[in-house]
Amino acid sequence: MLSLRNINKKLGNFALTDINIDIPEGEYFVLLGRSGSGKTQLLELIAGLTIPDSGEVWINNRNATFRKIQDRQVGLVFQDYAIFPNMTVSGNIAYPLHCLKLKRKEIHEKVSRIAEDMNITDLLNRFTDNLSGGELQRVALARTLVNHPKILLLDEPMASIDASLKEDIKRILRRLNRNGLTIIHVTHDFREAVSLAHRVGVIHNGSVIQIGTPDLVFSRPANKFVARYAGIRNFFKVKFFPENGRWKAKCENNLVFNISGNNFPGEGLVILRSNDVKISSREPFHRYDNCFNGVITEINPSEYGMEILVDAGEIFYIDLPVSEFKLLQIKESSAVWVTFPDEAAIALPGTG
Amino acid sequence: MKSNLFNWILLILSSLVLLFILAPLTGMFLHTSGPELIETAADKEIQETVWLTLWVSFTATFFSALSAVPLAWLLARKKFPLKKVVQGIIDLPVVLPHSAAGIAVLGFISRDGLLGKVADSVGLSFINNPAGIAMAMAFVSVPFLINSARDGFSAVPERLEKAALTLGASQGRVFFTVSLPLAWRSVMTGFVMMFARGMSEFGAVVIVAYHPMISPVLIYERFSSFGLKYARPASVIFIIVSLAIFILLRMISLKKKEVHISHDAEP
Repeated sequence: MLSLRNINKKLGNFALTDINIDIPEGEYFVLLGRSGSGKTQLLELIAGLTIPDSGEVWINNRNATFRKIQDRQVGLVFQDYAIFPNMTVSGNIAYPLHCLKLKRKEIHEKVSRIAEDMNITDLLNRFTDNLSGGELQRVALARTLVNHPKILLLDEPMASIDASLKEDIKRILRRLNRNGLTIIHVTHDFREAVSLAHRVGVIHNGSVIQIGTPDLVFSRPANKFVARYAGIRNFFKVKFFPENGRWKAKCENNLVFNISGNNFPGEGLVILRSNDVKISSREPFHRYDNCFNGVITEINPSEYGMEILVDAGEIFYIDLPVSEFKLLQIKESSAVWVTFPDEAAIALPGTG
Repeated sequence: MKSNLFNWILLILSSLVLLFILAPLTGMFLHTSGPELIETAADKEIQETVWLTLWVSFTATFFSALSAVPLAWLLARKKFPLKKVVQGIIDLPVVLPHSAAGIAVLGFISRDGLLGKVADSVGLSFINNPAGIAMAMAFVSVPFLINSARDGFSAVPERLEKAALTLGASQGRVFFTVSLPLAWRSVMTGFVMMFARGMSEFGAVVIVAYHPMISPVLIYERFSSFGLKYARPASVIFIIVSLAIFILLRMISLKKKEVHISHDAEP
């Protein structure tokens, strides 16, 4: 459906470097990256607003690298929606239809249908200056979709809307994707990726670092940057070494982890997801390969429930649901045990 | 207390500037009696020159706009070699002495000049002709239109134009449906400024065409032939007509719905 092949593009001091992405028809692909990582530039390149210095853009098995923007059948919804302030909502939605020189009646019918679909029929005759973020988002989607693009490009679609409206927009996007629309969605928020994407690509400084299913990318991040994106806070600088036929990782504070896998070269990082680490107030009956005792240094409320910081020679970040936290009856300075299986310790050799 | 003193100083200095502008104009109005004004307004020569001044300046502005507005868009949107030089060339007529500008235009449109030769070959002459007057007016006033329109186009977020392109619009459609409507206020301000500046031009016009006479030339002629007393009512009539036209044009241009352009998004 869409194939980016060895794309390079210099933009002032910044460059997109050797971008290779293949997106099959009907996929929901989320491109994850910080602001300034090149996400928007990549979308503009797919839409045809810029031309790569080298490499090719293939759409529907045709080389579209130099094809006109208007002929690409790609719809782009900008971060702030780029709604034309000199037109009504209806004028905005009808804009691409006027470009096709359709008859007035046909335009009216199509606008009414898509407005109904997006639940914005009551806004059609209004100017856009007083619309909310969520309403503008729907208008922008309607305007883009009225022309039936083959690929929908979304630039940070949730950035300017209230949390309460995000679920509505997600529902719309899931429905569009279920109906066969290929969607490429760029965002800085990994939660959007988890909740929407079939596959995720992580972009940093103009290069794509890792592509895979959200499960794979977030459970086996390719490097520290991706791990940070996945919300991982437990990073340990280690030296890898074999002992009695098993591979281990020694932290700077001499804590030693058992890790799964083998043949790790020299130094690197071990990362741990906060909810893979278990905590107990007594020495655990069922202990994993890694088990350490320590002291609670901080307890903070978090979006998952409670975040507990335990000093066991190294600081461990542990997430607990509130109910579990209450059962444990722990507080700051309590002595506790932390334990996790060796496969939860993700080794990233050569990074850090 | 200190800030109070500063405010007073600001107020006094500002009032001085306003007084400097208003005092001569008020003086002129006060020195012109009603009957004098009516008599001058009925003067056929006055009527003809005012009409000539208005339509020639309007025509010059209108035809200049056809190429000046696209140039303004180019300057706002495109990067090209020697762009700063081009911008400097556009501002050149503003800094030239207007009589020198008149000499330059005359050289261009006289029978020995490039445009003059072409016109001569089809039996036309720009000298002492409204077309020559329009050239002189446009030469000195077109920077006002270009610069104002350029600022207007620069203020239109580029992403709106990009969005229009991705929605299937051609470059031309984007210009006429998005860029121009959103820059409309600045374009119209530039149009009115150019029209006003063209209308009031004396130095360049008098060199290209003493006749047919436009109002600033007529005022000068009345002053040099008959003195201040006779030049004054003609000036007052011209000022009243100019003000009326400006107010009308501003009202027309500002009547269009005010559009708020958001600049929140990162570029």
